[in-house]
Amino acid sequence: MKEMKLFLGPQHPGMHGNAAVHMYVEGDMIVKAFLLPGMLHRGFEKGMERHTWVNNIGLIPRVCVVEPDINEMAFAQGVEMLLGMEIPERAHYIRMIILELARLSTHLMAYGGLGSPTGLYTLMYHAHTDRNTILNIFEKITGHRVYHMYIVPGGVRKDLPVGIEKDIHAFLDDLENRYEEYRDLGINNPTILARITNTIELPAEVVWELGVTGIGMRSAVNKEYDLRKVIPYARYDKIDFTVPIADYSDAKSRVDCKLQEVVQSINIIRQCLVKMPEGEVKLPLGRGQSMRWTVPKGHVYSVVESSRGEFGYYMVSDGGLNPYRVGVRGASYPQGLLGIEKYLPGTRIDDAALWVDTMGVCSPEIDR
Amino acid sequence: MKNRSNMFTSWRLLKYLFKKPLTIPYIDIFTKKNADYLNKNSIIKIKSRVVNSEPREGADNIRGFHTNDWEECIGCSTCMDICPTEAITMAERLDVEDKEGALQQRPIIDYGRCCFCALCVDTCTTGSLKMSKEYIYSHSDPDQFLLMPEDLWQGQVVKDGWVKDEVSDLLDLKRVHMEHEDPEERKSSFIEIVRGYSKEYAKQEAARCVECGVCTGSCPVQMHIPAYIKAIWEDDIEGALREVYETNPLPGVCGRVCTHNCETACSIAVRGEAIAIRWLKRYIIDSAPDDIYKKALMEPVSEVIDASVAVIGAGPAGLAAAYYLRVMGYKVDVYEEKTLTGGVMRYGIPAYRLPDSAIDKDIDFIESIGVKMITNTRVGKDISMDKLEKEYDAVFLGTGFFKPRPLNILGADHKDVIGAMEFLPKVRDFERGVLELEDIDVARSIVVIGGGDVAFDVARSATRLQMLKYGESHVKLTSLEDQNVLPCSEDELIEGAEEGIEFFCGNGPQEVLLKKGKVTGLRLWKCLCIFDETGKFNPEFDKECEQIIDGEQVYIAIGQSPDYDYIPASLNEKLSFKWGKIEASELGQVKGVDWLFVGGDILRGPDLISGVADGHRSAQGIDDYLYNKAKKKEVSKTLQEMRLAAKQGTPHLTYRQKGKKL
Amino acid sequence: MTNSMNNVDYISNLVESNFKLIEKEIVNKNQVSYIIDKESVHSLLTFLKTNGWIQLSYLSAIDWPKENKFELVYIVFNWEMPVYIQVRAMLDRNNPVMPSILPIFPGCKYYERETHEFFGIKFPGNPDHEKQLILEEWDEIPPLRKDFDPRAYSDKKFAKREYTEDFVNLNGQESKQIIRKQRKTKIMNVRKGGKK
Repeated sequence: MKEMKLFLGPQHPGMHGNAAVHMYVEGDMIVKAFLLPGMLHRGFEKGMERHTWVNNIGLIPRVCVVEPDINEMAFAQGVEMLLGMEIPERAHYIRMIILELARLSTHLMAYGGLGSPTGLYTLMYHAHTDRNTILNIFEKITGHRVYHMYIVPGGVRKDLPVGIEKDIHAFLDDLENRYEEYRDLGINNPTILARITNTIELPAEVVWELGVTGIGMRSAVNKEYDLRKVIPYARYDKIDFTVPIADYSDAKSRVDCKLQEVVQSINIIRQCLVKMPEGEVKLPLGRGQSMRWTVPKGHVYSVVESSRGEFGYYMVSDGGLNPYRVGVRGASYPQGLLGIEKYLPGTRIDDAALWVDTMGVCSPEIDR
Repeated sequence: MKNRSNMFTSWRLLKYLFKKPLTIPYIDIFTKKNADYLNKNSIIKIKSRVVNSEPREGADNIRGFHTNDWEECIGCSTCMDICPTEAITMAERLDVEDKEGALQQRPIIDYGRCCFCALCVDTCTTGSLKMSKEYIYSHSDPDQFLLMPEDLWQGQVVKDGWVKDEVSDLLDLKRVHMEHEDPEERKSSFIEIVRGYSKEYAKQEAARCVECGVCTGSCPVQMHIPAYIKAIWEDDIEGALREVYETNPLPGVCGRVCTHNCETACSIAVRGEAIAIRWLKRYIIDSAPDDIYKKALMEPVSEVIDASVAVIGAGPAGLAAAYYLRVMGYKVDVYEEKTLTGGVMRYGIPAYRLPDSAIDKDIDFIESIGVKMITNTRVGKDISMDKLEKEYDAVFLGTGFFKPRPLNILGADHKDVIGAMEFLPKVRDFERGVLELEDIDVARSIVVIGGGDVAFDVARSATRLQMLKYGESHVKLTSLEDQNVLPCSEDELIEGAEEGIEFFCGNGPQEVLLKKGKVTGLRLWKCLCIFDETGKFNPEFDKECEQIIDGEQVYIAIGQSPDYDYIPASLNEKLSFKWGKIEASELGQVKGVDWLFVGGDILRGPDLISGVADGHRSAQGIDDYLYNKAKKKEVSKTLQEMRLAAKQGTPHLTYRQKGKKL
Repeated sequence: MTNSMNNVDYISNLVESNFKLIEKEIVNKNQVSYIIDKESVHSLLTFLKTNGWIQLSYLSAIDWPKENKFELVYIVFNWEMPVYIQVRAMLDRNNPVMPSILPIFPGCKYYERETHEFFGIKFPGNPDHEKQLILEEWDEIPPLRKDFDPRAYSDKKFAKREYTEDFVNLNGQESKQIIRKQRKTKIMNVRKGGKK
């Protein structure tokens, strides 16, 4: 059969963001594949070097569109590590609420995204409805729906608005009530189940070769390798939660883990709302007006567990007004670039989109 | 994983057939404008849906389009500086009222760039910039996305969205703490009260500045305030010193006793405590080692333009004139009646505010560039005015107000009724060890009349002398103005109260009470109003409300007056006076007497820094007058440039001096 | 996962007894940073991998033009003993070459490729490292070098948008903004050592 060149994306319902998977196919089997990033490169790392510590917050959330908060968190945490500062207790809890809401929205969106490669668009509409509710909550807390610019070095920008607990609880209850429906719609649906079971497996030994983290890794190695557990940041050590794992990583078990994480996130947010103390939510980084704040010299690597795995900011300060260098480790770097190159060959064309969706490949954070 | 699907699973799902579908309630999001646009231009006419639409209201702190209250906005451009996308520029608006503490410019925002981060709102110095709940705007013309936020959004009153609160504020509104001497201890000595910033604290305080430059316009000499504060923050004392000397040859003195109009104008002061500009200036001088002066400031001024100027009076105005004239290359001689140069700095202001060491440092530098000081020489007595006119090409008068203004009430001619300007020089001489404690006659209990800084100088100096002499102090202060509107600076009031001065403000003195030839007290009537309807000084008193306060001495500090005795009658005829001041042009040149220039209190007043400004202006005036006439030597390019630089730096009149409303 | 500080001590002892470190810094209880000479990077990474630091989290570089150096950073992680280790090494900026660590961590393939693209560091041993990855048709010096000026680049490459500005109101007077701007430039000169 003749070899053919195919592009999945950048305009394709199964492709997340503006990147393309360049495939060489024979029949419907992929022979060679690699990701074509770069369509979304905006030079963030260079841009961050050219902004002050505080006005970088306008830039940072844009690294990942769906889940901007992890960027803010990783950056803020990095600056706090460089400064050696301890932020107010309440800010930690507010941050956790924001991060878990973001995780919920991303997981829902990824779960809804499963609808496009499998052809069940209802899933997507349901997921987006719930995401809309989360965005409404974000709008109330942070002032914006998508780019929140809320978690800043030193804490969070504003205290929670009065009565927001009600909205959050109402949403969580609603989501919990419909959780089974979600499962029925998606992975308990025989059609979809048949489509995702035993597709694009990820063996445990491969995980280390790629450097994959997050759900992809946890479902393969069957261990609770979650940064929230392993090196608890914020106040995750004060919260009870489990990390869903599986002993065999195929598309189905990864989606399953994702849905179980939704339950865990709901739990975490509820606990945060109970345990959250009163008090301050932000400390200044130093004396003086914000454009004259400086951060001491140092090299730190600040990590956050995103919905797609380990998300890190490598930050270097030379003691000046701007970061000297910020390197972003996008969580989907290993699975998006090397993963596609190494593990798509041998699968079918339509599985490529499933890989992208279930492994969580986010092209903006690869491009930066 | 076990495969849970079996043939019944699909039947189970049938229940969803009867469930209410999950939908997002769709509320139209079209504004009137958008709806009209859509109706006109859309291919499919969906009129029924679009016409009656109401946009969904945003959340309470949504970051929507900006609004800016022009009344509050001072055009400080801090929003422009912080904007991460460079979306904000400042548009010049000369139709806005030109006033102190504000610039005539307002922000315009390019919504093609704006990322709605609200940093501009959080950093706004006045809190005038806010974000509204409006988030929909569309236009077919891209140019229409450059908008100037006003109080109204698109001509309509809109609700506030994101506004700054205490948490999100990005400015540092609290001043870095300055160490003061303890009131109980400082009361019994003339040690300087304000200790001055350490390097660390000075840098912290300097970091609060937003570099808006609003302060410069209110400074009589228009110092480069943001520049030298930035230099402090960057720990560049040499650069800071250069900035300071560009406009002010008496920085050490001004760093201590300036009336700091700049701090009143400071944009941080709109909502918080102003930057301690005065103390930062003092920090520069205090921390600058002596040798840095030579390195940073000295350029050879040895070449001289062949013209000479006599300066009469070595006070702030005279010294400033001398300094700038010398920098421009003239030969300058300063004539001073007293033993020490410095005028009011040396003989008026007490040492706990301005120690001799600070004055010495400033004046020594002026002397070191080649200004000749001739002390103990009173013009009119030791040397005649005519002789000066003949020997010099121009004469600058900066003789100040050194005579006490008398108070015309009963008993005011008693010997124990003392003027402030008789008393204060003695105090300074005592501090210097010229006079002994016994030489100064301070009674156990005294009354001071007046509410200005000088009155407080008298009261607080007397407190110290009493403490030294008797170990206890009894000082009462009375003034026409109420305590909350006293003309003195706020520090004086607070520190004076700390030192145990009793206040009897809002009362007018009526009679010095005498008994057996000795002062026993002062009769006060309640003051109802100070000025009459025409704005003239004409106090009204309430006789019913009488008060008698005791004291063995009465000090009068209700202002000073000039002493023109040294001016010969022939010259006096040509001068015109108004309120005791000599009338002259803006640059201090006296009309009809071209070679005579005046400055300081006898021209404009009222404070030290205005004197420095007058000196600088007169230096330019004298240069304008002399330079072309003088048989000038071939001077080097450096001197030529210095001369022009000094002239370019000539200060303009401030809002206050122009008599504008504040 | 308890006794986290012991983890740092453990790895510090282990590394220090086997390698000569140029500089060592303990960032916090989950992170250490080592500077080591370029030649020892491979052996140190191999050593760490055999001791459980099996995940390569990040690889990038920092430009230090003043010192005329590139600093390479490798970050490895051990999930069982959660300590991030930054391994840093200095390269000569004029001839930046570093043998690839592909045999040790296959996951480095794209990191090295990106580092080459953004800094111009060569990684012999990595077959694809010189291929273009993100920057299409790039014709300038590698952009994350400090001497690359993005503003100048964009001014050169793209047209500036001119707005018709009708917000300025001068009321027939001379612009004070321009005067202020000139004054500011002059003032900055004074500080650097102008007149007087």
